[in-house]
Amino acid sequence: MSEALIRHEPVSDAPFVAEGVRIRLAPPMQRHALRARNAEDLEGLLKIKIPRKIGASEGGIMCLGPDEWYFRSEVGTAIPTGEGLPVAITDISERSICLIVEGPRASEILMAGCPLDLDQFAVGQATRTIYETVEIIVMRAAEDRFHVEVWRSFSAWLWMAMTMAARH
Amino acid sequence: MSGFRLETGGRIDRSQPVRFDFDGKTYQGFAGDSLASALLANSVMLFGRSFKYHRPRGLVAAGSEEPNALISVNRGPGRFTPNLRATGVEIHDGLIATSQNRWPSLAMDFGAINDRLGMFFPAGFYNKTFMWPRSFWDRVYEPAIRKMAGLGDAPTTEDPDVYASTYAHCDLLIIGAGPAGIDAALGFMDTNKRIVLIDEQDELGGGALADPALWPWLERSVKALADAPNVTILTRTTAFGYYHDNFIGAVQRLTDHLPDVTDAPREKLWRIRAGEVVLAQGAIERPLVFDGNDTPGVMLSSAAKVYANRYGVAVGKAPALMASHDSGWHDVFALAKTGVGISAIIDVRQSVDSALMHEADRLGIPVYLNHGVVGVNGRHGVSSVDICDYGDQQVRRIDTDALLMAGGWTPSVHLWSHSKGSLKWRDDLGAYVPDVPNENVHCVGGCSGDWDFGTGAIIDMLPTPKDQSRIKAFVDFQNDVTAKDIMLAVREGFRSIEHIKRYTTNGMATDQGKTSNLNGLQIASSALNKPVTDIGLTSFRPPYTPQTFGALAGHAKGALFQPTRTTNIDDWAQAHGAVFELVAQWRRARYFPHPGEDMHAAVNRECVAVRSSVGIFDASTLGKIEVVGPDAAEFLNRMYTNPWKALEPGRCRYGLLLKEDGFITDDGVSARLAPDRFHLTTTTGGAALVLNMMEDYLQTEWPDLDVWLTSTTEQYAVIALQGPNARKVLEPLLEGIDLSAEAFPHMAIREGRICGIETRLFRVSFTGELGFEINVPTAYGRAVWEQLMAQGAQYGITPYGTEAMHVLRAEKGFIIVGQDTDGTVTPFDAGLDWAVGKKKPDFVGKRSMARSDIVALGRKQLVGLLTDDPNLVLEEGAQIVADPKQPIPMTMIGHVTSSYWSETLGRSIAMALVAGGHDMTGNTLHIPMPGKTHTAKVSGVVFYDPEGARLHV
Amino acid sequence: MILIHCPYCDEKRPEIEFANAGQAHIARPLDPSGQSDADWETYLFIRANPRGRHHERWRHIHGCGRFFNAVRDTVTDKFETTYKAGEPRR
Repeated sequence: MSEALIRHEPVSDAPFVAEGVRIRLAPPMQRHALRARNAEDLEGLLKIKIPRKIGASEGGIMCLGPDEWYFRSEVGTAIPTGEGLPVAITDISERSICLIVEGPRASEILMAGCPLDLDQFAVGQATRTIYETVEIIVMRAAEDRFHVEVWRSFSAWLWMAMTMAARH
Repeated sequence: MSGFRLETGGRIDRSQPVRFDFDGKTYQGFAGDSLASALLANSVMLFGRSFKYHRPRGLVAAGSEEPNALISVNRGPGRFTPNLRATGVEIHDGLIATSQNRWPSLAMDFGAINDRLGMFFPAGFYNKTFMWPRSFWDRVYEPAIRKMAGLGDAPTTEDPDVYASTYAHCDLLIIGAGPAGIDAALGFMDTNKRIVLIDEQDELGGGALADPALWPWLERSVKALADAPNVTILTRTTAFGYYHDNFIGAVQRLTDHLPDVTDAPREKLWRIRAGEVVLAQGAIERPLVFDGNDTPGVMLSSAAKVYANRYGVAVGKAPALMASHDSGWHDVFALAKTGVGISAIIDVRQSVDSALMHEADRLGIPVYLNHGVVGVNGRHGVSSVDICDYGDQQVRRIDTDALLMAGGWTPSVHLWSHSKGSLKWRDDLGAYVPDVPNENVHCVGGCSGDWDFGTGAIIDMLPTPKDQSRIKAFVDFQNDVTAKDIMLAVREGFRSIEHIKRYTTNGMATDQGKTSNLNGLQIASSALNKPVTDIGLTSFRPPYTPQTFGALAGHAKGALFQPTRTTNIDDWAQAHGAVFELVAQWRRARYFPHPGEDMHAAVNRECVAVRSSVGIFDASTLGKIEVVGPDAAEFLNRMYTNPWKALEPGRCRYGLLLKEDGFITDDGVSARLAPDRFHLTTTTGGAALVLNMMEDYLQTEWPDLDVWLTSTTEQYAVIALQGPNARKVLEPLLEGIDLSAEAFPHMAIREGRICGIETRLFRVSFTGELGFEINVPTAYGRAVWEQLMAQGAQYGITPYGTEAMHVLRAEKGFIIVGQDTDGTVTPFDAGLDWAVGKKKPDFVGKRSMARSDIVALGRKQLVGLLTDDPNLVLEEGAQIVADPKQPIPMTMIGHVTSSYWSETLGRSIAMALVAGGHDMTGNTLHIPMPGKTHTAKVSGVVFYDPEGARLHV
Repeated sequence: MILIHCPYCDEKRPEIEFANAGQAHIARPLDPSGQSDADWETYLFIRANPRGRHHERWRHIHGCGRFFNAVRDTVTDKFETTYKAGEPRR
């Protein structure tokens, strides 16, 4: 039996390039949904700082709701299950892919379908939102770079919509 | 004759001639001309035929308020646009335009007969005629009316153009770039506010474009704004609607003015959220209402000025002016400056400002105060006008080749009104102006009633000695509504403007009454003898001007309309000839036909393969929810009908989910992985609904429970392996899992590795055969599938689709929620009361199961049906009756929910919901269909292997 | 497109991120089995339909995911206020 089975991704890993913008598939990473009544319980368990404010991100953890965090880490990072504690740690690594949208037109391309004022998004700010009818999590990683997390089965559509907006 | 090109003047580029076609004839204009100005320059006065009477019509205006000159533009196959205003079409080389609503030609239109028969088509005639005989409506009246009435022809081929859309945010949005709008933008240019300035025309300037004295200021201002980094200018952009919280919809026209058709976006929809909005939409001049005011060559005086100063076109050699407002005088003075001779100024007022009289005198223009036009001579153009001296009622004739109307001004309050800002009436203006805002918006310039070109008299119609019932004095040009129509509506008892509008159709055309609403209101006011403010004002509705479907929805055409969700294995299915179906937003393989097979042959083969050897099925679309926390079991106990607390880690249970009303809403097999961790499954279509329902209870009813829900639908690809050889195919690929029957019973879950990839392996069956569902991280789904196919080749492993899946589960009597249930079926109705925990004090839906209706006799219950003719497959949805001989309407006692040919059993099977069905086993029921009534016997729902022996191997 | 103030995110967000969730302040009875048919019917089906001020629930489904309460005028469609789930009726 072959050790390394092939992964099939829903979008090509060849970047899309247009004037002022580049869209590319991020390499595979680990993703975990973190829930807890008290963020301290997660901090003790994971030994990592948990941002408290909805919309903030810190060291790979985005705060999406009052008791909900989205934790991205490198493949191979050991993540405990939290069994027995009033927490819920769920592996959702495969659920989404990340599209990196970068360049001076990055926010413009995202706002072709997302109703938020992304120009006013601070670096490090993150939120769950919507692009036309597709749910995404958007995070401003740098002045000219956004990470867009989208569920696998919606990603081909999102790729098509954003590359079309970039071409216009 | 009439219109002609002036030798100098205008903003057109005389160094760039442009050739275009109108009604099959080629004309020449210049870059910068509109279709209207270019045709006018070529003495074309006839632009269309009116809607109802087919009267010859010419230009009334120079802007987007134009009611008459509706033309069609053809840019090639699929690119035919009707009902464009000639005043808004920019000409380019090769433009092909045609007039509308006339046959065989504009000049010689047979429809003109309607004009002669006008007495039979008064207002409201639609409501009174074409009623009898009823049968004539479909065959005679409607086709004839459709042919005779209406505007342009609808396109008949698909639109190949590309359309774009975007959201945008700004601190200040200025709508209208006339002098007032430009001033507003200049005022904030040197701040750090994000400013967007919108105008519907191809260049900024608005009214200033017709005033050469302002051009130096305009040029400086436009340059300053273009250079400002915080100002975004959008020209050829119409703000068509003002929505809640300062959200404005606008369409930017990108390519219609260009000679070549490309695949660049034709139009862009802008959805703008503004911190503050400034409306600078200006004001629209009012026509005057008199007999013959719709004759080609009769137009608004401000329009004549625009044609002369902006486009370098004179509307006639010797136009006359009919005015009730000072502005008309200023307009003709401007015309005189271009060399046009003014034949007369006729003013309804008895006295006007002496400065105006003086200037008219200086220019040698005859003036007739206290006079009014009572007739226009000429049909396809003006040859003379008849004017009446209101002092002595004497009528005289004045030769002229064009008549200009200056009836006062109406502030454009359309977008203001969309935003629900209130209006107040100004008697001096005879118009409504903005009053109290409802959003963060204010109005500047003409649209707030703020103008500086004099005053005027407010009148409804020009007085006339003629019999009102015999003249045609138009109020709404586009819908052919005359003053007598409005008076007729009042005579017939209509009091409110809402009724008068709808009865006469005044203001209901594509121009939304821009040049007719206020005149209509004044006439109604006089007829009712009530002040205008007592009659009401009709609503302004988006779009401000007509917008294309392409602009509004075209950005989501074709594949962009909605996502088609596909699984990791979909590509493999496609490559292997699968025929697909849509389930919710997912594309699922329905069957895998071999060459020469139709659906039935393929499904039969797939079913036989599963029961005789092994089949493989992509079940990835099923909803999955991971329920984690110390209170996980308690939560599930409260949600589902089943008991969960005693379920051991490593075991599975079929869960039934009810709504609070006691009816089945979803189902699925779920597994306990640990004391505090469950892996739930739901139906494909129900995944989001179930998660939402559970979150609702968790957040708002039981927030004290320590349990959290995470959707894992897309975390795992799920491959179902079903059939007697399933274990043999799977075993060699597994690590860390003992697949033997003793170690791994039915309805259990184990974790381990398959082909080196971690897996959650369920032993579950939706087919009644030995079965497994292999959950692997999604990206590996395809690779694992291919490994299983290779491993299973020796057993003739057969991929099967949703169709075979449906047949196989029906043979075992398993329900499909949403097919065998319809939101009114309880567990007892469906024969699933075994899944209801009898000792649980409460769960969602429990109380409702004691409702009187739910325990009553005669409820529809799920049964099997075996047709007397075994080869007959009943139609799903077919109605069932007990006695086929009863009179119609028959009492229907139920319907067929699922129906298939069973190759395994060699006969058809069906499931049905039948009133009192559980007590009818063995009875014959009847299914009436067109042409024949079928018979079937009631049976149990499990048709195959009722003891379930095949499952526990 | 209305802007709705999410009391959890503490900012105004566009309407399409939200889903309406019916009338507010209808608590599930603690003892459903003890409810009379009439009271249970009221809980299940009877809802207010006021012209004007209406207490309703919304969920910030494409945002923080929380259910919350709102007072909205059904005629003007304006939101008077929003407040967290569990807080008393305003």
